[in-house]
Amino acid sequence: MNSLVQRFDTNNALSEIKRTSAIIEEDGDNVSDLMWGSYGGFGNLATGIPKFNIPAVPDPSAFLRLHTDDHTDPSCRIKIQHGTTTLAFRFKGGVIVAVDSRATAGSYIASGTVKKVIEINPYLLGTMAGGAADCQYWETYLGIQCRLHELRNKERISVAAASKYLSNLVYSYKGMGLSMGTMICGWDKTGPQVYYVDSDGTRLKGDLFSVGSGSTFAYGVLDQGHHWDLSDEDAQELGRRSIYAAGHRDAFSGNTINLYHVKEDGWKFIGNYDVSKMHYEGPGDIPGAPGHGYGYSIRTAGKSSADPPTS
Amino acid sequence: MSIMEYNGGSVVAMVGKGCVAIASDLRLGNQALGISSNFQKIFPITDHIYLGLPGLATDVTTLKEQFRYRVNMYTIKEEREIEPEAFAHLVSSTLYERRFGPFFIEPVMAGLTKKPSGEYKPFIAASDLIGCLNFAKDFVVAGTASSKLFGVAEGLWEPGLEPEDLFETISQTLLNAVDRDAYSGWGAVVHVM
Amino acid sequence: MASADGGAYSYSLTVFSPSGKLVQIEHALAAVSQGTTSLGIKASNGIVIATEKKSSSILVDDSMIERVAVICPNIGIVYSGMGPDFRVLVARARKSAQAYWKIYGEYPPTRVLTQELANIMQQATHSGGIRPFGVSLLVAGWDVNRGSTLYQVDPSGSYWAWKASAIGKNMVNAKTFLEKRYNDDISLEDAIHTALLTLKEGFEGQMTEKTIEIGVVTVPTEEDLEGWSISSANTRPKPTFRKLTEEEVRDYLAL
Repeated sequence: MNSLVQRFDTNNALSEIKRTSAIIEEDGDNVSDLMWGSYGGFGNLATGIPKFNIPAVPDPSAFLRLHTDDHTDPSCRIKIQHGTTTLAFRFKGGVIVAVDSRATAGSYIASGTVKKVIEINPYLLGTMAGGAADCQYWETYLGIQCRLHELRNKERISVAAASKYLSNLVYSYKGMGLSMGTMICGWDKTGPQVYYVDSDGTRLKGDLFSVGSGSTFAYGVLDQGHHWDLSDEDAQELGRRSIYAAGHRDAFSGNTINLYHVKEDGWKFIGNYDVSKMHYEGPGDIPGAPGHGYGYSIRTAGKSSADPPTS
Repeated sequence: MSIMEYNGGSVVAMVGKGCVAIASDLRLGNQALGISSNFQKIFPITDHIYLGLPGLATDVTTLKEQFRYRVNMYTIKEEREIEPEAFAHLVSSTLYERRFGPFFIEPVMAGLTKKPSGEYKPFIAASDLIGCLNFAKDFVVAGTASSKLFGVAEGLWEPGLEPEDLFETISQTLLNAVDRDAYSGWGAVVHVM
Repeated sequence: MASADGGAYSYSLTVFSPSGKLVQIEHALAAVSQGTTSLGIKASNGIVIATEKKSSSILVDDSMIERVAVICPNIGIVYSGMGPDFRVLVARARKSAQAYWKIYGEYPPTRVLTQELANIMQQATHSGGIRPFGVSLLVAGWDVNRGSTLYQVDPSGSYWAWKASAIGKNMVNAKTFLEKRYNDDISLEDAIHTALLTLKEGFEGQMTEKTIEIGVVTVPTEEDLEGWSISSANTRPKPTFRKLTEEEVRDYLAL
């Protein structure tokens, strides 16, 4: 039934794609101008909704799923990064955005230096969870649309509008295998804002979100430490500490932490912190830091009869 | 999700010049969730044998006890310590007893064999979960980081390492391999004989 | 009902007589002492076990009689007493040796195999419905741990290690003879000759390669041992126990 509706619906992404493939096939050398983004000469992002080459099979999304779903088939050829911990929360001093940097393919740690915060523009940050490429591509695309909005309307786009643009966009691709769980964070006329957007089409406004396999661990620390009147230092420390907790406990999160703070005048990168180093030594001599490691045994050594002080 | 990856953990053993080393991580997980950073996977069998048991944690405990029992019985019956070669075969036959419902463990052994001349000869071996023995002359690996351990060990190991250099080699091998494995880590232990 | 020696107690071997004896076992020992003489001597560089091989008739094809048996490459046994019982024990011992090999990848040490045999024989002394084995055994073998060792096992299941021992018909005389001739640094060659001389003492008829069986344990050299480790696989270890061929026996007799 669904596929029947899809076939005759002329407004969704699939039909858009079908039109595109028609254009591509007309092209003699089988490489369309779009491939080089030749309408403008600078990639095809600015030409409205981008067009994609589609595998020549009856059901392209089923074909894609067959080759990308590493949950049901860990040996599949295209692996999408799933493990992650990202968080963002609102407080009186703005928005804190903190993420880990681990990318895994199955149990293999493919990278420990991934940038999971996407700097959409100086006032907007997006976080990355799920498919790295999907997040990167569509949030960059969102950045372009936000800039166009700014040029057309002579004012910055609200976080609400930007997140809704993304939400509507991914919704038009629903069922085609996009995988994103992102938080769009920024500061607009209404103050600090955080929106959660995912590839199912969910869009939520909130004070505090955490996304990814390690989110439960982050929530644990975040929930008990979060307060609207947090100082900037304490808020940053809470972000760090929360991602550390996830990076420590969750096998698919870790390596390093990237911390951002969005204020009225735009976002600022606060720092990059090594999770192992934080375990033993803490984040270093920075405002809000406890001055020692976060590790349980490090914090509790010599403090109780179960672990008595050594002379 | 593979049962071999349910708890995570890795072991590596290496041969040196007149010495052997065996090392493991200390993680005990429940899939992605790290539970303990002090889970022992390497056990002393005799004064000259260590046994590493990476795999399903419940089987680590069961097999450790099983081998303690069998080796103690052997020692009492034969009035001698079991030699690494014989122990490797004991491991193999113990695992094959469960051919059709195996323990989810891939054991790694390291030991020193007393030669007739009185000197000690390094010995390492590994087995799959149903007891196929692999008597390697350089190094053996097992566990969730085994593929990574193979890579790093292949790059770092060289013949004739003295105990101090062997310690450094096996430590770096384990640490670097484990850094690329989500299911291993959380501390490590190294034994050199 | 009551017979001269054991009385009512002699019927069930699982019942002690009031004097504390299991008379069936003593009867079994009597069966052994009627059997042909066998002996074993431990030398400084090996062990020899030897026995008479006499057939009841010249018409018997004696090439098929085997009184010295190889159990595994490092262990051999000889017996005095009832042939069929010995055959059963040989089969059990060989099985046991192979089972041990299956578990540990090496053959059992002499002591372990001896214990195994002793256990089988002991079980026959307190199981219902069966009788004790009517044999005594001499077990000779070599292992890395204890070197070459010589054991004797009796129908009761008891066993001892010996430097030299004899069982069967002439055992008392043979033992006295061995006591006189034995010393700790006797060589294997000398031990073989002593064995033949001892047998000759009570031998009825002609002692030839057809009427004698000899098995020897030879201590492997260090080079042999080096080559045996499993890690250097695919080389079958040279057996440390072997039976002498008829030619070899003839040569020894000729000397």
